[in-house]
Amino acid sequence: MRMKLFATLSFGILLAATVPVLAHHSFSATYDGNKPITLRGTVSKLGWQNPHAHIYVDVKNADGKVVTWEVESAGPTALLKQGLRKEDFVGAEVIIKGFLAKDGTPTVNASSFTLVESKKEFVNEQTTP
Amino acid sequence: MKRLTIVCGVALALGAQTAALAQARPDFSGTWRLNVSKSAPNVAGNTPNIPFPSQIVARQTPTDISVESTSIRQQPVSAVYKLDGSKVTVQAPEGISETGEAKFDGPNLVITSRRSFSSPAGEVVVDFKEVWSLSGSALTIEKTRTQSGDTSNSKAVYDKT
Repeated sequence: MRMKLFATLSFGILLAATVPVLAHHSFSATYDGNKPITLRGTVSKLGWQNPHAHIYVDVKNADGKVVTWEVESAGPTALLKQGLRKEDFVGAEVIIKGFLAKDGTPTVNASSFTLVESKKEFVNEQTTP
Repeated sequence: MKRLTIVCGVALALGAQTAALAQARPDFSGTWRLNVSKSAPNVAGNTPNIPFPSQIVARQTPTDISVESTSIRQQPVSAVYKLDGSKVTVQAPEGISETGEAKFDGPNLVITSRRSFSSPAGEVVVDFKEVWSLSGSALTIEKTRTQSGDTSNSKAVYDKT
């Protein structure tokens, strides 16, 4: 009984430890450094969690169709450090500069972004390779 | 006789000028590795602002320069630029169309290119300008990116290996 409980707990801890590792992937594995892109749209949803905040932005294409983009940003700690709070994002118009995902989905990694109305700006200062 | 002297004089002057131009051009040939500590912040690694390749292999002749740029886990980009500034096709990864041109501006090599690719937001067009300069065994590249009316620039330093 004890052995079974120990094994279950160990598996649970191992599983929990794997999730942040998977979430904290490298830029080069997921994004294409050869494909820089600039987007302008409205924030429709926000995933405010570490290690990366995820901002969902509705962007209107040239043909008028609205596409929701998932924008991976630095974590909330880094955003707060540059004066950006969760409340600043919802419904805000943003200009995102980043790089396209390799898989062709509407996903970008933001190197910088600007909240149009408040003119608040975030520039990624991460320098680790 | 006088005509022969003039013709010879002109030929010598032209030859000397060509030789002087060739001498004035630095040779960028070599394998160059990115020196992150001497470069501007965020030129490589996670979330670069303007990414620079981690390695550049260049081979220069009097008429052209071949450049192959590679980065970790990224597709290489290569081109053979004519040094007269004529437009060439850049060998870019699948899905990317790119043309570029190179010419010397004094001791600096200036490479300009236009890249286009499709995205879920439509066609994306990006213009790049790189100014290469040599100082001893260090290569400095100043890169400007223009996209959707916005211009950004950054600088990277490479060491010769």
